[in-house]
Amino acid sequence: MKTDSSVLVIGGGIAGMQASLDLASRGLKVYLVERSPSIGGRMAQLDKTFPTMDCSICIVAPKMIDCLRHPNISLLTYCEVKAVSRSAADFVVQILRKPRFVNETKCTGCGICAQYCPVEIPNEFDMGLGIRKAVYIPLPQAVPLKYTIDEEHCLKCGLCQRVCGTGAVDLKQEPETVTLNVGAIILATGFELFDVRSISEYGYGRHLNVLISLEFERLLSASGPTGGHLLRLSDGRIPRSVAFIQCVGSRSLKGGVPFCSTACCMYATKEAILIREHEPECEVTIFYNELRVFGKGYQDFVNKAKDHWGVKYVRGLPGEIVEDPGTGDLTLWYEDTTENVTKSTKADIVVLCPALVPRATSKDLSALLGLELDEYGFFKAKDRLFAPVDTNVPGIFACGYCQSPKDIPESVGQASAAASRAAEVIALSADKEVH
Amino acid sequence: METEPRIVAFLCNWCSYAGADLAGTSRISYPPNVRPIRVMCSGRVDPAFVLNALEMGADGVLVTGCHPGDCHYVSGNLKAEKRMKSTGELLRRLGLRPERLRLEWVSTSEGARFAQIVTDFTKILGEVEPNPLSAGNNAVAILNAEQTVTEALARTNVRYCLECGKCSGSCPISKVKDSYSPRRIVERFLLGFRDRMLSSPDLWNCLTCLTCTERCPSDVRYPEFVKACRRVASKEQMEELCAHKGVTTALSRILTNPSLKQERMDWLPEGAGTSPKGELLYFVGCLPYFDVIFEDFNLKLLNIARSVVGILNKAGIRPVVLDDERCCGHDLLWTGDVENFERLAKMNVAEIRKAGAKRVVTACPECYRTLKKDYAETVSNLDFEVVHISELLSELIDDGKIEYDIDLQRKVVYQDPCRLGRHMNVYEPPRKVIAEIPGIELVEMGRNRENAVCCGVNAWLSCDKYSKAVQLDRLAEAKATGADLLVTACPKCQIHWKCVMSEKLPVRPEDVTIEMRDLTVLAAEAMHSA
Repeated sequence: MKTDSSVLVIGGGIAGMQASLDLASRGLKVYLVERSPSIGGRMAQLDKTFPTMDCSICIVAPKMIDCLRHPNISLLTYCEVKAVSRSAADFVVQILRKPRFVNETKCTGCGICAQYCPVEIPNEFDMGLGIRKAVYIPLPQAVPLKYTIDEEHCLKCGLCQRVCGTGAVDLKQEPETVTLNVGAIILATGFELFDVRSISEYGYGRHLNVLISLEFERLLSASGPTGGHLLRLSDGRIPRSVAFIQCVGSRSLKGGVPFCSTACCMYATKEAILIREHEPECEVTIFYNELRVFGKGYQDFVNKAKDHWGVKYVRGLPGEIVEDPGTGDLTLWYEDTTENVTKSTKADIVVLCPALVPRATSKDLSALLGLELDEYGFFKAKDRLFAPVDTNVPGIFACGYCQSPKDIPESVGQASAAASRAAEVIALSADKEVH
Repeated sequence: METEPRIVAFLCNWCSYAGADLAGTSRISYPPNVRPIRVMCSGRVDPAFVLNALEMGADGVLVTGCHPGDCHYVSGNLKAEKRMKSTGELLRRLGLRPERLRLEWVSTSEGARFAQIVTDFTKILGEVEPNPLSAGNNAVAILNAEQTVTEALARTNVRYCLECGKCSGSCPISKVKDSYSPRRIVERFLLGFRDRMLSSPDLWNCLTCLTCTERCPSDVRYPEFVKACRRVASKEQMEELCAHKGVTTALSRILTNPSLKQERMDWLPEGAGTSPKGELLYFVGCLPYFDVIFEDFNLKLLNIARSVVGILNKAGIRPVVLDDERCCGHDLLWTGDVENFERLAKMNVAEIRKAGAKRVVTACPECYRTLKKDYAETVSNLDFEVVHISELLSELIDDGKIEYDIDLQRKVVYQDPCRLGRHMNVYEPPRKVIAEIPGIELVEMGRNRENAVCCGVNAWLSCDKYSKAVQLDRLAEAKATGADLLVTACPKCQIHWKCVMSEKLPVRPEDVTIEMRDLTVLAAEAMHSA
C-alpha cells in the first residue's frame, strides 16, 4: 500500500507556518489547517517583537504570503479537524470546512461587502477593543484575503450580496467535509490567555483602565483601534503613567497555573519601551516577582529598558488595585520587597500580564489523535530530553506553545525541528511519491 | 491560711485605700478575707478585672472609691458606678449572682466604715454558695513551641512563599502600618527567629480577615499559621493589645464552666414562639452579653435576636432557643486557647443534640464559621446542618414563606463580614435579602465580596491606631457610595465601627459617620409584625 508523503499541520500561527514552509521546501505536500478565517496567529496581533523591536506584522506577513503562494502548501482556513483514523502508516483525517458564505474563488477581497454591512461587533483581532462587521476579514493583512460572514451575528439582510461585484456572497453555503490522507501530523495550536477576571483584586472587567497585555499591544499597534496612539480607554486621554503586573495567574499554586509563561517579562519590557517611545513623559513601572529573562540578548534588553529608557522595575506584586470611581485613575497597593515597605502608587493604566495556557481545544485534539496531555494540558513530549517534539503517537509531532511555554524564537526553532522529524518519518517509510 | 469566702478589693488611692489604712492604724478588726489592690481611681476598675477575679476563684469583688463629688479626677467614681451597675447585670446574666460585686464609697476618714463593709460583705458571701468558678477548671495545655511552629509551617504552605509581597499589598494593616507584612513575618519564622517572633506583637496584629490567603498565589494560609502560633505565643503581648482588657475572652472562659446557670433569655419578647425541641435551632451567640458590655453604644444588639425569632415566627417556624447556650468559642480559638474552645464546642454540640435540632441558624458570622467549620473539625460526626440567617431568609423568600410588606425607601450599602464572605463564601444571600425589600436601592463599595475590607478588629485584639485607620478608611468608602444606611451581617462590625465613630476623629465626622443596621433587623423592619 502506498504511503502518503503529505503532512497535516494543525494551527496557522508562526510555528505552524514555519513547519509548513520547511516541509514544503523539502518537496513534501502540506495541508495547513487553521480554525479562524486567516492564518497569522498571535504573532500577527503583536506590534513589535523582542528583543530586536522588529515590526511584528512586517516579518510575519511575508511568511503568511509564502504559505499562500507555495505550490506545496494547501491552506485550509476556517477549517477544523473532526476525525482521524489510521490506515497502515497513514492518517486519514476528516476536516470540516466551515461555511464562509463567501465563495473563496470569486471573492477578490475588495471589502465593499463590509462597507455596507450594517452589523458592528467587537473585533477579536483587536481583543474586542475595535469593531468589525459581520462580514469581515480578521486583520488587514488576512491570508487568504477572502471575506467571511460570521453566521452568529449576520442579520441575513442580503446587503452584501447586492453590493458584491463578483457575486461571491453565497448565503446558502453548507459545511463540507474534506478527507485527507497524510503521512504525519504536526500540532501547533498555540495558547490562549488565562481569564484574569478570576483574580478579582485586580479588577479586570470592572475597572476600565485595567487591561491585559494583548489588549495593550493592540492599543500600541498602528493597525490597532487607536491607530497606534496610546490613549486611555476611559477618557481618551494620553496616560501619564502605566504599570505592568507580571505573573497574573502564572506561577500560582492556587487559582491559576503553576508554570511560568516565559514570555511576559520580556514582552512587558518591550511594551514599556514602546510606551516611552510613544510618550516620553509617561512613567512606566513593571511590578515583577523575579525577572526571568534568560534568552540571548534578553538581559541586555532589560538593562537598556532601565538605563536608556527609564523604565522602573519594582520587585513585588501588587495586592490590589483600587479604582477612583470619578476619574478612573487606579491606585496600586504593593510591597517593594527590596525595601520591605508597603506603599501605594497611582497609575492611569494598569496592564496585566496573564498566564498563557494551552488551548482548551487541545483536549479534543488529544482525544481525536490519541495523544497524551501533561497535567497542565500541554501535549506531552515522548521524551523531554531526546525527543522533545515527538508525541506518544508515532508520526504526530508538536511544536510551539501548545507543547510547552516558550517565546517566538523558540517556537520557530521547535517548528523547524518538528518539520524535520515529520520529513524523517516520511522518508523512512517505503514507496513514496514526492510532490 | 485559706479563708473562705475570698474577696478581692479594688481600693481607690485617694480615699478608700487611706480609709482602709485608717482601719488598720486604728486597730479596728475586720475579717481577714479581703485582698486589697490599690488602683488610682475606682474608675480604673474595668469589668474585665471583676471577671478575672471571679474567674480565678474569688467569691466576691469589692470596689471602693471616693464619695460622689470627692473624686480626685472629678467623675471617675461616677463612671465606676455606671460600669459596676452593668457589670452586675453581666454577672446576673452569667448566673454568677450580682451580689458578688459590690461598690461602696469610703473616704479617708471612714476606717470604721471600711471595716463594716468588709464584715457585711464577708457575711453575705458566707451565706451564698461558693463561687462555681475555680481556677484550674479551664486549664490550658502547655505545648512544645518548636514543634507547634514546625507543624504550622508545614500545614499552612508557608514554605511555598515566593516572597512576592502580594500579601502586604492586600493586608489592611500593612496599608496603614508599612512595617507590617505577613510575608516578612513568615520569613523571620523560616529564618529561625522563632522565639523572638513568638514574643512580638506582630502575631496579634493579624485581623485573620483572610484577604492575603484569598490572593496568595502560593496558597500560603497566613491567618491559619498565625492562629496556630498564637497557641504558643507569649500571651503578654496579647493582653497588651486586647481591647476592653480582655473582658470578652474572660467571659468565654467563664462560660466553659458546666455548673453555670445563665439567665440569658430575658430578651425574648412576650408572645414570641419558641419550642424546647425541634428541627430548627436559633443559636443566639453572645448578644445577651454584648448588650450589656457595649450598652453605651446604644446599638440595641438584642434586636437582632428578636428580629430573627420574629421573622421565623412569621414564617410559621418556632425555633429552639437554648437557655444554656454557651459562647461559640470563636475568640478563644483565634487567640490560641484551643482547650477552652473545645470545652465550649462539646457543650454546645451536646445541647444542640439534646434539642433534637437538625438545622442550626445563626445571625452572627463568627458563630456561623465556628459551628459549621471549626466544630466539625473538633466534634466528630456533627449531625446537624449550620446555616446563616441570610441563607435561611433567602430560602424563605424563594418559598414564599415570608414577604416584605413595608416600603423602606433607603439607599443601602452592604459590608461583607470576613467570616461570612472570605471564610465561608456566602456573598449573594445577604444581598438578596436586602435587594428584595421594596424601595431599597442596594449599592456596592468598590471593594466588595472577596475584596471587602475588614471592620478593623477581630477577636477583640489589636484595637489600636492602625485598626482605627482601617475602620475610618472603610467607613469613608461606604459613605462615598452615597448610601444612607450601612448594613452588615455581623454584630461585631457594628460594635467596632460604632466605637470609632464615637471617638474624636482625625477626619471630618460627616465623611465617616453613617447609620448602621444589622441585616436581620433591616429585614424585620420591612415586614409587618416581625
